[in-house]
Amino acid sequence: MKTQKVYLYNSIFKAIVFFFALVTVLSVILIGVFMIVNGGPSIAKVGLKDFLLGKVWNSANEPPQYGILAFIVSSFYSTFFTVLIAVPISILVALAIGQLMPKGLGTVIRAIISLLAGIPSVIYGFLGIIFIVPLVQKVFNLSSGLTMFSSVIVLIVMTLPTIISVSETSINAVDKGYMDAAFALGVRKEYALFTIVLPAAKSGIMAAVLLGVGRAIGETMAVMMVAGNIPQMPSMLKPVRFLTTAIVTEMSYATEQTRGVLIGIGLVLFVFIFIINSIFHFFIKKAGAVNG
Amino acid sequence: MGIITTKDLNLYYGDKQAINSINMDIEKNRITALIGPSGCGKTTFLKTLNRMNDTIPNCKITGEVIFDGINIYDNKIDPMLVRKKMGMVFQKPNPFPMSIYDNIAYAPKYHGKKKRELDEIVEKSLKAAALWEEVKDRLKKSALSLSGGQQQRLCIARTIALNPEVILMDEATSALDPISTYKIEDLMGELKKTYTVVIVTHNMQQASRIADRTAFFLLGDLVEYDTTENIFVNPRNQKTLDYVSGHFG
Repeated sequence: MKTQKVYLYNSIFKAIVFFFALVTVLSVILIGVFMIVNGGPSIAKVGLKDFLLGKVWNSANEPPQYGILAFIVSSFYSTFFTVLIAVPISILVALAIGQLMPKGLGTVIRAIISLLAGIPSVIYGFLGIIFIVPLVQKVFNLSSGLTMFSSVIVLIVMTLPTIISVSETSINAVDKGYMDAAFALGVRKEYALFTIVLPAAKSGIMAAVLLGVGRAIGETMAVMMVAGNIPQMPSMLKPVRFLTTAIVTEMSYATEQTRGVLIGIGLVLFVFIFIINSIFHFFIKKAGAVNG
Repeated sequence: MGIITTKDLNLYYGDKQAINSINMDIEKNRITALIGPSGCGKTTFLKTLNRMNDTIPNCKITGEVIFDGINIYDNKIDPMLVRKKMGMVFQKPNPFPMSIYDNIAYAPKYHGKKKRELDEIVEKSLKAAALWEEVKDRLKKSALSLSGGQQQRLCIARTIALNPEVILMDEATSALDPISTYKIEDLMGELKKTYTVVIVTHNMQQASRIADRTAFFLLGDLVEYDTTENIFVNPRNQKTLDYVSGHFG
């Protein structure tokens, strides 16, 4: 009798867990379906090639031009530079707070960094407008500091906390025995950290980078405030418009036709993130296999 | 005088004294076993010999450890060089997550050996640790694919690769099965021809089987230190007799 009851509880619990897992998966599928159904026909109408590779975006023209190449390139450009700079800094900071600093100091800094991760992006946008934009204008002697460069700086600051905390977790999870062994062999701590601990934490660090990429490519509000928002092919010191900001900018006054195209941009973003995720998961799995 | 001599060696964790005024002479090319119940200070003492306690916060050491005629706690001594000359093998096998070859070559490379010398060092070290025959065809495979006993012998080989004078083993067989343990005990007998071996063990049979000299620790004191035979057959101290005859521990 009793075992039957336990069995019943187990199956109820399993059903609940299964249900919520299903909800998660279904939401992703529904989002995908929504994007394809709403954005697909509009993309087809513009023509996939003209849409993805068209260099001119002008929704107010008659007929309107819907080329989003500038947005795609801008998004990739800014994400690439953000990650390029944010990742090495994050790894060094993660090593410093988890391995090199006295425990108390590390704890304080860790708390501050996790606080940074929780600040709403619009605040970062404000800080960008107030401090970075004027600075960029002055330093490069531009007519306006609203540039790709400013948004990359804002993005770096925004992605740091995420990459730091995730990579720190994976670095600290590395078997302490490795450090003891290295120490007993007369190897200095800093050398052992870079040659043993970092490689051992590789898969976790890659997951951290993935999160950073996701944040950089998907960030909208903060970059919209500092990027200048002009649809043109990107350059570091020119105002640019990203995939995300392109959607927000025109959504409120879009015609029926433009609205469909904007959802099409969302679909492109969705597909990109899906591809990036898949690539990273492949590498993370590979890295995990080497260590295991 | 032996290869290592401790003089009035005390160690404190914060306010708590963990080992009390140890004076001990460790002989060259012998196996010296440190025995005693858990918490008696035997591992702590072992780690003072190659300054592994340096990494522990609030750990204070007074007294001297004379190794090759030099006090290793002298301010002018680089602890890294001490550790290079005194290898250590840990309780849990801890090969690095890299290939078998790289595990052995790692420290020699760090300490400045040339690339062309490494092949020979790897082979010699693995042979000395009685592991060569088992792994010679898969040197590029991950060290983590080895069994526990093989991993521990790899750790011994890794230590030998630096050509140390002393090898310290902290309960190096306690996580292993009897056959692997036997192989490592056998290996220790070989190692003492070239190196001085100091082991910590909670296995009294192991100490009596392989050690030339045995030191009995209790509550941070060195109670008795003598030839293994004397310790186990006719100890002078009542506490030693109680411990080796299994009355406590």
